[in-house]
Amino acid sequence: MSDKNKKRRRLTPGRAMVSTVMLFFFLAFFLLFLKDFAWQSLALSLVVPVIILFGSVGITKLFPADTLLLSLTNFLCALGVLVLYRLDPDRGFTQAVNYGVGVAAMIGCTLLIRYLPSFRFVNWAFMLASIGLLALPLVIGTERNGANSWITLGGRSFQPSEIVKIALLISMAHMLSRRKVIFTMGFAAICVLILAVQNDFGTALLYFGTALVLGYASTGNLLLVGAGVGGAGAAVVLGNMIMPDKFARAMSRVEVWLDPWQDVQGAGYQIVQGLIAMANGGLWGVGLGAGNATVIPEHYNDFIFAVIVNEFGMLFGLIVILMYAFIMIRGIMIARNTRTMFHALLATGCAAMIALQVFVIIGGNIKLIPLTGITLPFISYGGTSLVSSLCIIGILQGVAARNAAGIHEDRELAMQGGGVR
Amino acid sequence: MSSDAYELLAMLMRYVFIALGAVILFRALRQMRKDARAHKKEMKQLPDAGLIGEVVDLDTGKSQPLPREGLMGSGSGCDIRLKRRKVRRRHVLFTFVEGKGLRIKPHLGSWVAMEGVEITAPAYALHGTQMTLGEAHIRIRLFAGLNVPNPAAFQRDAQSLPMDEANEEMPWSGMPLPFEQVPQAQPPGQRPVTQMTWDYAYSLEELDEARQGQQPVQTMPYVQLPEDEQTEDYVPYESPVVRHRRSERR
Repeated sequence: MSDKNKKRRRLTPGRAMVSTVMLFFFLAFFLLFLKDFAWQSLALSLVVPVIILFGSVGITKLFPADTLLLSLTNFLCALGVLVLYRLDPDRGFTQAVNYGVGVAAMIGCTLLIRYLPSFRFVNWAFMLASIGLLALPLVIGTERNGANSWITLGGRSFQPSEIVKIALLISMAHMLSRRKVIFTMGFAAICVLILAVQNDFGTALLYFGTALVLGYASTGNLLLVGAGVGGAGAAVVLGNMIMPDKFARAMSRVEVWLDPWQDVQGAGYQIVQGLIAMANGGLWGVGLGAGNATVIPEHYNDFIFAVIVNEFGMLFGLIVILMYAFIMIRGIMIARNTRTMFHALLATGCAAMIALQVFVIIGGNIKLIPLTGITLPFISYGGTSLVSSLCIIGILQGVAARNAAGIHEDRELAMQGGGVR
Repeated sequence: MSSDAYELLAMLMRYVFIALGAVILFRALRQMRKDARAHKKEMKQLPDAGLIGEVVDLDTGKSQPLPREGLMGSGSGCDIRLKRRKVRRRHVLFTFVEGKGLRIKPHLGSWVAMEGVEITAPAYALHGTQMTLGEAHIRIRLFAGLNVPNPAAFQRDAQSLPMDEANEEMPWSGMPLPFEQVPQAQPPGQRPVTQMTWDYAYSLEELDEARQGQQPVQTMPYVQLPEDEQTEDYVPYESPVVRHRRSERR
């Protein structure tokens, strides 16, 4: 290979991006090492960039994958590990392990979507399992932060709704590709209803929004979206009349959102502390490891974005939001290039779900919308959430790999003759 | 390190982190633009990518590109739109199945006939199959090279295929593999026997590689055009997408 070609190969935007991501995390962990000279920080400053290199470039050697999507996802996951490690080293290490499990799950999802020809025979099983898993916390669930949506097994707790996300996306895309619109919306409504009964309004909103996006994407019918929104509004009014206790919590969140300062030490404490932390960070932040955002309740989970803005600044917060936007745009581009409606809807659903989740939680953090307890994808602490988010990326990767295979088929067709006979 | 020194260093590094974040974003944007350009270029080379043929409206003579799956009907959201009487908004659902053909599944209550025979259950349409949907009459035309059982179409083009006269029952599975049929440059006054959508869809380097990797390369047979066809009568292949767009503009 000539020198010119070598140089050109080195300077591809994808490779340059991965090297910048690696440099970012090397510097960040090394900075934390300088704070207290803990050997774990030094080890992480070397290990994390290597994992990023494998996760972004190594995986693409195993099967065709979208490097950009992988790089952005790896950046956000590593940012989660960094921030959690800075807040609490134990949580940081746990998140790193979850990240490894998530990457394995992502590869599994990619291969499943790439090579499974049809979900026709497993769709019913997916639907029944989804409803069963969602309803399980009503029987053996444990309550956390007012939502009865957790299950504890063997000392470890998880949210079934995070796992069901994947099955819901696949089932809805499959049924809508077969134009079973009413049936699909009915299935989504049952799932949303179960979540509402569990007081998990954040996830319910996420499911509802995704179902509407998919319904519109498959039919192009705005009336359907209007009917969905109207139906949800009617259900809320009806639910408030029938079960006022259940909806009291949701209503109190709206009140806190409207004026969190009326109860600064009580219901509005979390959101006020979040706003103070972000304002304290300002445009440039207070510096990694120099912030005091730990005073915010659930700082490692729901309010991790406030921690990021506090330490890295609002400009960096904007960069993080743009990264999510790039992931969503990439998902839509993958959806546009698909050959089948099922894969188009699947990719659209994945992009919509990530975008909605980011909007709901960041919107809640910055007091744009009422706060609901869901995680920030890839960054927040939580094994199930991280694994399910990476599974969604795996699905997008699988669809992208199918698109690449489709182009290859078209080329072969062109070689064989092509053209209408 | 003392807390004051660390704080100073952390405050200095925050600018570095924001700068690195901006560089990552910029590079991601460049990568997206590069990929979009590459995709556009590829689509120019493969104008019929994602399609499997076309549907010809036998009443008007107009054709519409046929995707791998979709919906036929009179509704605006249909992939194949047939605005004719008794054609429902969603009339039939179609999916291309490798090795079998175009699977046609009529919607509940939709009247569909294939070669004059009414179908109520899913059925497979092949190249040349004539269908009736309500009062619309259409013909399915599939691309050459697709893996579909279509011996009739094969026999019709028999003189153009690389086989003996005696071997009329050549099975579809016996077709040469793609790289065994690397198209050669078209000699003047001759045309390939099956129309080629993308004679040069592969770059010259790729074609050379294919030729070198699979010796001896079987060349596409060419037939000598009659004198009158060599001039203005011969119409080169045009993508169904381009043809459809032109008819829509008219």
